[in-house]
Amino acid sequence: MTAATFPKSVTRFMHKYAIAYLFIAVPILSIILFLVIPMVVSFWWSLNDYSGLQAPKFVALNNYVELLTHDKIFIKSLFNTTLFVLLGMTLGPTLGLLTALMLNQKVRFQSFFRTAYYLPVMTSLVVVSTIWIMLYNQNGLFNTILLNLGLSRVGWLSDPKLALLSVVFASVWQGFGFETVIFLAALQSIPRELYEAAMIDGAGALQQFWYVTVPKLRPVIVFVYIIGIIGSYQVFDQVFVMTLGGPVYSTETIVYYLYAKFRDLRLGYASAIAYILFFILVIFSYLQWRVSRGRED
Amino acid sequence: MQTTHRPFRFFTGRSVLYLVLFLSSILMIVPFYWTLGTSLKLEQFIFANPPQWLPNPVTIQHFVDVLTRIHFYRYFLNSLIVAVTATLGHVFFDTLAAYAFAKLNFPGRDQIFFLMLLGLMVPFQVNMIPLYRIMGAFHWVDTYAALIIPNITSIFGIFLMRQFLLSIPNDLLDAARIDGCSEFGVFRRVVLPLALPGVATLVIFTFMGIWNDFLWPRIVTNSEALFTLPVGLAQLQLKNTSNEGQIMAGTVLTALPMIIVFLFMQRQFIEGMTAGAIKE
Repeated sequence: MTAATFPKSVTRFMHKYAIAYLFIAVPILSIILFLVIPMVVSFWWSLNDYSGLQAPKFVALNNYVELLTHDKIFIKSLFNTTLFVLLGMTLGPTLGLLTALMLNQKVRFQSFFRTAYYLPVMTSLVVVSTIWIMLYNQNGLFNTILLNLGLSRVGWLSDPKLALLSVVFASVWQGFGFETVIFLAALQSIPRELYEAAMIDGAGALQQFWYVTVPKLRPVIVFVYIIGIIGSYQVFDQVFVMTLGGPVYSTETIVYYLYAKFRDLRLGYASAIAYILFFILVIFSYLQWRVSRGRED
Repeated sequence: MQTTHRPFRFFTGRSVLYLVLFLSSILMIVPFYWTLGTSLKLEQFIFANPPQWLPNPVTIQHFVDVLTRIHFYRYFLNSLIVAVTATLGHVFFDTLAAYAFAKLNFPGRDQIFFLMLLGLMVPFQVNMIPLYRIMGAFHWVDTYAALIIPNITSIFGIFLMRQFLLSIPNDLLDAARIDGCSEFGVFRRVVLPLALPGVATLVIFTFMGIWNDFLWPRIVTNSEALFTLPVGLAQLQLKNTSNEGQIMAGTVLTALPMIIVFLFMQRQFIEGMTAGAIKE
């Protein structure tokens, strides 16, 4: 009896759900093959000494210990990347919010200004980098302007003290228009009655900003920071094109170092770097999730 | 009538507001203008002091160079092939899967979807190196397949489209089913046409991401015939035989297609970008 009904129920099950599973089949296969399996393999390699040519040699947590305690360049890259994120995430969203607040003042030519801020967001980081290398050139536009003002040349990308800052500027210039557009849309979605009510209660402009605008923007601010921090920690293109990590490792970043180790065929070591990066991002995501949830309660 | 409810009253002087807006916009546009100008200058005037704000004389030699000697048209063609194919893949596979997750019932649906969302958190670098080896195992390294196939669908795209499809009324789908449509028929005749604004957002995100992508194409291609625009441009920049005018001509050719598309589809771009961030 059961033997006869079992296939029937399977057939009915297949008939009912097969189409749905078929619809998700390609993405699921793609995720398993190109994301899940590589993730697991990468973690296994991070516990091994592996060049890709010989068989992996298990070394437990040695790669991680080496990276975090002995590898001065990696520690420098952690420091540089964190500084890059801190500076970028201070400047970018601030500029984005200021420009959005200005554009929200019912200005004329709003779409022109918005386009101007947004244009670099469309262009690839490689393009932005080649443009800024030329501007930063020893004899480039910036130094020519400085000379004509009676000042002396600056080694924008050749001075180890300045190089990271120069990369930050180029990156902020490229990216803050994204925040402008997001903040502007959020500002425009705040109901006008809220401001009117606040005014009736006698709130001044700054109080309105603090008690109406900021709380209403909070979810968007959290969104911008999550996207921004995760993206900035993965900074690579600008470093690859503008500085190659130099001078004297002053712009060495986590992913650039990972790329270098990958090229050196130290695949286990590079995988450990990837997992350290992953760990940092998980911590940030968790903190932001806590912050955004804590505020809502 | 009143505008006093607006914050930032200290911008009371409208002229100050406009001045700041104009000056900052100029700071955004000057680097682009300077790039275009430099690409049209003779080599000896590129770093001239005082700076040459208008190229004089104008030369198109650098463009001729990058198109004939460095084959930038080939990079352009590669970028186009990869971005268009991958975007078509996204439109079909992401929307189809999103339809299943939004509108069909099947065991494990919500659990699978939740696990997929977890995958969104994984930075690409974590799976990149084994992915490169998988491409090697398939003999796909240095072929279009490696540039396209890992990119024909994405968790983010499915998530985006699912959010969009949730708002389609079930009655419409049921009506189509009663009329004898198969599930795929419902998808093709009802869901896809209704999802077009969402598809536009998906297309913009995907196309832009793939067109501008650098790390993966850099790693997975070796031969110049397969370089995409960003890879070719970075290569040009790093070669010490290339001159500044050629690099700037290459920069213009790399940036221009995206800028033109953006200027024509600005509204869709802005709406697409803000769709994910601001919930009504």
